[in-house]
Amino acid sequence: MTAKYLSQPIKRLEDKYLLTGNARYVDDIEVPGVLHAAFLRSDYAHAKINKIDVSEARKRPGVVAVFTAEDFGDFWKPGPLQVPPPTAIAGSKFNARTIVPIAKDKIRYSGEALAVVIAESRYIAEDAFDDIIVDVEPLPAVIDLEKAWEDTSVLVHDDLPSNMAALVSQEVGNYEEAKKNADVVVSKRMLVEHVAGAAMENRGFVAKWDEQDQQMTIWANTQSPLTVRGSVARNLGLAESQVRVITPYIGGGFGPKVMTSLSDDVLIPWIAKKLNRPIKWTEDRRENFLATTSERDQIHHCEIALKKDGTILGFKDVFYHNTGAYDSYGMTVPLNTQTHTISNYRVPNFYTEIRMVFTNTMVVTPVRGAGRSEGVFVMERMIDFAAKKLGMDPTELRLKNLLTAEEMPHKTGIIGQDFVANVLDSGDYLDNYQKCLKAVDYEKFRKEIQPKARKEGKRLGIGVVAFTEGTAVGPYEGCKVTISTNGKVTMATGYSTQGQGHQTVFAQIIADQLNVKVEDVKVITGDTGSFAWGAGTFASRGATLVGTASYLAAQKVRAKIFATASKAFGVPEDEIELGEGFVFVKGKPENKITLGDLAIKANPMRGVVEPGVEPGLEATAYYGPPHGATGSGALAVIVSVDPETYKVKVERFVMVDDCGTIINPLILDGQIDGGVSMGIGNTLYEKMVYDENGQMLTASFMDYLMPQATDMPKKIEIIHQHNKSPLNPLGIKGIGEAGAIPPGPAICQALEDAFSEIPLEILESNLNPSIIYDYVKKARNS
Amino acid sequence: MKVEGEHLFKAPREVVYEMFNDPNALGAAVPGLQKMTKIDASHYEATLGIRVGPVSANFSGTLTLTDEVPPEKVTLIVEGKGGAGFVKGVGHVNFEDLGDKTTMMRYVGEANIGGTLASVGQRMIDSVSKSIFKTAFEKLDKILEERWQQK
Repeated sequence: MTAKYLSQPIKRLEDKYLLTGNARYVDDIEVPGVLHAAFLRSDYAHAKINKIDVSEARKRPGVVAVFTAEDFGDFWKPGPLQVPPPTAIAGSKFNARTIVPIAKDKIRYSGEALAVVIAESRYIAEDAFDDIIVDVEPLPAVIDLEKAWEDTSVLVHDDLPSNMAALVSQEVGNYEEAKKNADVVVSKRMLVEHVAGAAMENRGFVAKWDEQDQQMTIWANTQSPLTVRGSVARNLGLAESQVRVITPYIGGGFGPKVMTSLSDDVLIPWIAKKLNRPIKWTEDRRENFLATTSERDQIHHCEIALKKDGTILGFKDVFYHNTGAYDSYGMTVPLNTQTHTISNYRVPNFYTEIRMVFTNTMVVTPVRGAGRSEGVFVMERMIDFAAKKLGMDPTELRLKNLLTAEEMPHKTGIIGQDFVANVLDSGDYLDNYQKCLKAVDYEKFRKEIQPKARKEGKRLGIGVVAFTEGTAVGPYEGCKVTISTNGKVTMATGYSTQGQGHQTVFAQIIADQLNVKVEDVKVITGDTGSFAWGAGTFASRGATLVGTASYLAAQKVRAKIFATASKAFGVPEDEIELGEGFVFVKGKPENKITLGDLAIKANPMRGVVEPGVEPGLEATAYYGPPHGATGSGALAVIVSVDPETYKVKVERFVMVDDCGTIINPLILDGQIDGGVSMGIGNTLYEKMVYDENGQMLTASFMDYLMPQATDMPKKIEIIHQHNKSPLNPLGIKGIGEAGAIPPGPAICQALEDAFSEIPLEILESNLNPSIIYDYVKKARNS
Repeated sequence: MKVEGEHLFKAPREVVYEMFNDPNALGAAVPGLQKMTKIDASHYEATLGIRVGPVSANFSGTLTLTDEVPPEKVTLIVEGKGGAGFVKGVGHVNFEDLGDKTTMMRYVGEANIGGTLASVGQRMIDSVSKSIFKTAFEKLDKILEERWQQK
């Protein structure tokens, strides 16, 4: 069968409303009689609550109700463990302390909800905050990860003996034994700092209870509508079918919108039902910075052991991972770090230990990159430090140790976020790297460009790193494909969309199977009323899991087309031909039946059907992989550093990426570009800062610097590799986070190269001109 | 946040110290101070309107004087909170008699701020506090001049 649409640069079908500013977002949902919610949030990071007096607020005109934890009675309880810890890792310890919907007795981070005001308008609701008297007893805040781990630390959760949220060690081979044979051992302490998801659209939630139908309808911009549906149903004692969650257009997810059982999705449905009035809440930017979720924030103690010739013998990494005040999202992020630390190279001996720690900061859940960035950062940095010690070029050391196609599938043996031992399924990491070196013309840069620039007083540096992106993890996703009587196709999935181009890529896959025009395939994502099974949007898994389910469901529908046509024409199936939107008997194209008419025939209104026949040209399919599919690549950057201001400019950006089969090259490049802006932003601009009292000092875009278009390289050069994943029929691997992963270590390597005459060693991930200046000054003085 | 500075008052130490114990004088000097009430010899209650960049809010709180050694030194404890967060600070103030009918006041302190004031206003709070001190000292200089001349 020919693929008319797969791998073609089809323009996005969903862009009409997005690009004209007419897309309907959750805050645009108008429900008659709606009331507005606002959360009073804690100014303190850690405090004992004596009393929250809302009596005056309740008297304010326009205020309908005010609730504190006390007012929710038995409904108040800590939320579910959204992601359980892996049980497969022997000896692992995990203390579940899940997010509470609103603080009761104790405040554990600044921004935690203390009261919710329901009023005729958001203005009135927020004005009522001034009427609320919050009587608290401040406690010392737990902020420093390493100090928090110590037994002497103040406790975030008083019922635990320490701030340990988890302790997980994994080992392949035997690092300490391997180290004995090493010629060179390098140890470093490194920081990977805290960043925000910072989606353009903040969280939003509208709940409407229909008393007569006993039905809850929710509009939310969640990455996980089915998780929201499940938890709302459980919280309110309803059947899942009594709750419908609709995700309208969503202005970016990047991870934090996957977190459910926060104040909004727990409390607002309860209030809507209690008051029998629709309730709307739209998060403001400060709330988003303080009280959604965010990520990174790890401290690594790494050690690498090598032979003189550069062969890696082993790697050891003991790292502290901040989970924030609660750990409802389990260990996805640090497990990703463990798997990705050794996912590029032959590392026969690896010891990795997670020390996940509670602190008085906002909850940590995945943000694009999600633990992978950290693992890749520390490994790439350690290779650079080892290369310096060995007197080797950093590229030479990588070329010696990178995995090749012959070694695939490669079992690393480290259990990851999908709870199974990591298997690198496909790819040629060495080839990625070699192609990247060639594309950036590494030799020429070293021999001509850099020396010439030096003579002209310009500081240029180059960095070339390798990376992987574990994607497409289970458990499963599914979809339903239907050909309607008008001949058009509808696909519905529980997976929700935040700008990834799902309406186009799934339509491409289905259109090829059914031989219809791509614009005739309507894709409905994230409406639990249309499709009610699946896990959610995370881990770059949409294209692979929902894409494969689309392929499988469309194939089933295709089989139904042939079966129904065979019956209609009274000929065997192999004599049927599928034209564009119609069927006919081979050799007789003049006598055709449109797919719409065939859909009518597939749903007889009288008479009898044969046993086992299912009506309609409709089918549902699910896909769950045995383990994730790992994308890979390499990145070369050339940076210049202003000698006066230390501002870094990315002069060239050459990325090699392997995501197997490309569904849509336009969307693919867009995904990479978006990821790259986050990767560069994280490295050179963005950083969330808490002071020692747990006050976030960067809770607005005045202080949290987002990269601008002008901060991006002029051109993002991308070279695609095409090593198909053997795990799914189309050979797809994910790509959503790739761009965000390698810029950090590549830029650090390039900066050290730009100052190669001094022993510059960059040991943290989030830089700015003054940090770079301090590093250079320190190196010059050493 | 660290607060540190000094100011030369053109009056003898006793006069300066006395002024610092007069809520009316302080009330007139501190910009945005809406109300200041003396509870007892060492406690005041105050309401202050403050604007830090995009954050503008009222704070109410207490001022406590401890370790008082008139007219040499005093320790001030400030605790305030309001819609835009909270402030808690301790300041040590020292008055040195320079012998020429002038007094050097030196102060050093530590202030913890929280809430919106910290998360949105942090970047500006240093310059805002400097400007508050500057305005206050200018006013106090005038008040002092009048008082000293009257004596």
